[in-house]
Amino acid sequence: MNLSQFNNILRQVFLLPVAALLVVAGALYFQISGANATVNLIQNSDARISQATLVAKLVVDEESGLRGYATTGDLRFFQPFTDAESHVQEEIQKLDDLAGDDAGQKHDINELRERYQTWHDGFALPVIGQVRGGGKASDVELNLHGKRLMDDVRRDLNDIIQKAEENRERRIVQWHQQVHTMLLVLLFLALGMGVLIGLFTRNRLHSVSAAYRQSLEILGRRAEELFQSEQELRTTLDSIGDGVITCDAEGRVQMMNPVARELTGWSQSDAGGQPLDKVFHIINEATRETVETPVAKVMRLNRIVGRADHTMLIRRDGTELNIADSGAPIRDKKGETIGIVLVFRDITMERKTQDALIANEKLAVAGRLAATIAHEIHNPLDSVCNLLYLMRNGATKEESGQFMDMAEQELARVTQISRAMLGLYRESKAPVVVDLKEMLQEILLLMERRLIDLEVTVSADMPKSVSVAAFPAELRQVFTNLITNAAEAASPGGEVKVSITPQAAGVDDTGQKLQAGATVTIADNGGGVADDIRPHLFQPFFTTKGERGTGLGLWVSRGIINKHGGTISLTSDTRQAAHGTVVSVFLATNPTINAGGD
Amino acid sequence: MKQSSNLVLCIDDELVGLQVRKILLERAGYRVLTAQDGPSGLELFYANPIEAVVLDYSMPGMHGGEVAVRMRQAKPQVPILLLSAYMGLSTELTALVDLYMTKGEGAPVLLEKLGSLLQLVSTR
Repeated sequence: MNLSQFNNILRQVFLLPVAALLVVAGALYFQISGANATVNLIQNSDARISQATLVAKLVVDEESGLRGYATTGDLRFFQPFTDAESHVQEEIQKLDDLAGDDAGQKHDINELRERYQTWHDGFALPVIGQVRGGGKASDVELNLHGKRLMDDVRRDLNDIIQKAEENRERRIVQWHQQVHTMLLVLLFLALGMGVLIGLFTRNRLHSVSAAYRQSLEILGRRAEELFQSEQELRTTLDSIGDGVITCDAEGRVQMMNPVARELTGWSQSDAGGQPLDKVFHIINEATRETVETPVAKVMRLNRIVGRADHTMLIRRDGTELNIADSGAPIRDKKGETIGIVLVFRDITMERKTQDALIANEKLAVAGRLAATIAHEIHNPLDSVCNLLYLMRNGATKEESGQFMDMAEQELARVTQISRAMLGLYRESKAPVVVDLKEMLQEILLLMERRLIDLEVTVSADMPKSVSVAAFPAELRQVFTNLITNAAEAASPGGEVKVSITPQAAGVDDTGQKLQAGATVTIADNGGGVADDIRPHLFQPFFTTKGERGTGLGLWVSRGIINKHGGTISLTSDTRQAAHGTVVSVFLATNPTINAGGD
Repeated sequence: MKQSSNLVLCIDDELVGLQVRKILLERAGYRVLTAQDGPSGLELFYANPIEAVVLDYSMPGMHGGEVAVRMRQAKPQVPILLLSAYMGLSTELTALVDLYMTKGEGAPVLLEKLGSLLQLVSTR
């Protein structure tokens, strides 16, 4: 049952009693008007009776006046006769008018009129004439005749009155019956209507109550479903291995799952309603400055904010954790942000492992370099040792001079190599200006032997010096890695091209701002990297070199280049006509160093 | 000059080192042939009655290991002394040759080891 159906029922329940009462009132009106008509008739009968009585009185007055005059002959006794005679006709006419359409009454009244006229003309006038003439009117016959005439008049009048009274009696009985009927009708109507209204209302209320019960059931079911789904969600949130915090649109904490409570050290009751940056206090690992929370960032950018690296969470007790976090807006149906959900996890162990891996790769690079250096130094050293031995064991002066020249020549080589090495492991805390051309030349010199072993020709296209701010030891590690990869890919008999392309600050085709800097390109004409392998190249422990590789070179290289605010990209071609791989490294002249990026 | 006139083949791509080693061995009484790479060394090895080989490991084209394998195939009785600037060559490689030493250990060690190798052969 919907609301309009319910309103309909309300209207019906209101209108039906009104209609029923109207019907009762109509019936009552009909009955009352019937009774009223009867009352009118009764009043009419009353009027007729009193009128007939009036006429009878006038006739009696005339008769007694005439009798007095006839007896005495005195005109004073004659007065009542003349008074009554003057309007008896008029009163009879009134009585006639009152009779209306009643033919019986009319007939009686006409008879009365005639009898009166007969008495008046046949007895009264002759008696009056005799008396005036001085005679006596005491004749018995005459008076008997007058009495008979008067008796007729009286009988008529009595008839009229009696009939009127009978009428009246009959009408009163009729009125009583009408009132009785009316009471009965009223009673039955009231009963009938009452039952009708009762039944109808009951029926309507039943349907309302059924609908109400149904609504209650549905509501109950919904509530149960809602409870179930909320329980499921809660269980899911509780079971998630990451910390989850939800905030309202103002950035106040609403809900924290157990992992979030454990990581932050805040309980749900303490944290609820608190501003997020109080509960989730994060700082930059390197600068130790407070970092904008993902929630603030989400509010600012109104989109999902991805994982930020190198963030430390200060727990409630002051201890610190390395974390990775991300935030996403919670939107309502209209798409408005009504809250933010923050997801984070403890990456302290992950970071330690990563650091260990990076250190490992550094050691591996150092080891390889040490071997190269040992080789480079041992060769001339061996010659010098041998020359010294020869001189000590009796050489001619001329020979000694020759040997010393050779020894000097060999020692110069050692010096050259050691010079190249000097810059290699001078670790610095702040970036220094590095000449890329010089650095690449030094690296190529150090790797010369290895490149010859691999039978790879190296060509360098480095037109002029390009300086960038960088950490030299780390850049050396990157370029050594990349050149080694290229040489191994091109071996044997292949070619490796190392080039530097300076780039001026400006704006590219897509409107992206370009930084001033240089792109170092290391290209080989090796077999190329297959498409299915390429996406994995920058992942740790991925190697195509089997036992010989650590699988960390490119991963660490990318880390170092990212730290330098640069980019590293790799394109490769496996087609017969143009196979080979090109790695491009862009370094900015004055980069923003991502501190702690290593 | 106890083992006079033993013919020794020296192979090394380092020209100065090779020259010095030649003078050293000649002073020690050996007859010395030299080659700057694997293939030319092998040619001399096949063409001459070489009694011992002093072989460098890291050389362009064909490294010492490969040269040693071919020499063993041709004349397995000729002792080979592998010289290398690298430390810690793999055992498969060192098993191929009679003796292995790193550069820079000094002339006396080289002469002593070469002498002992030749003595071993002559007493076989």
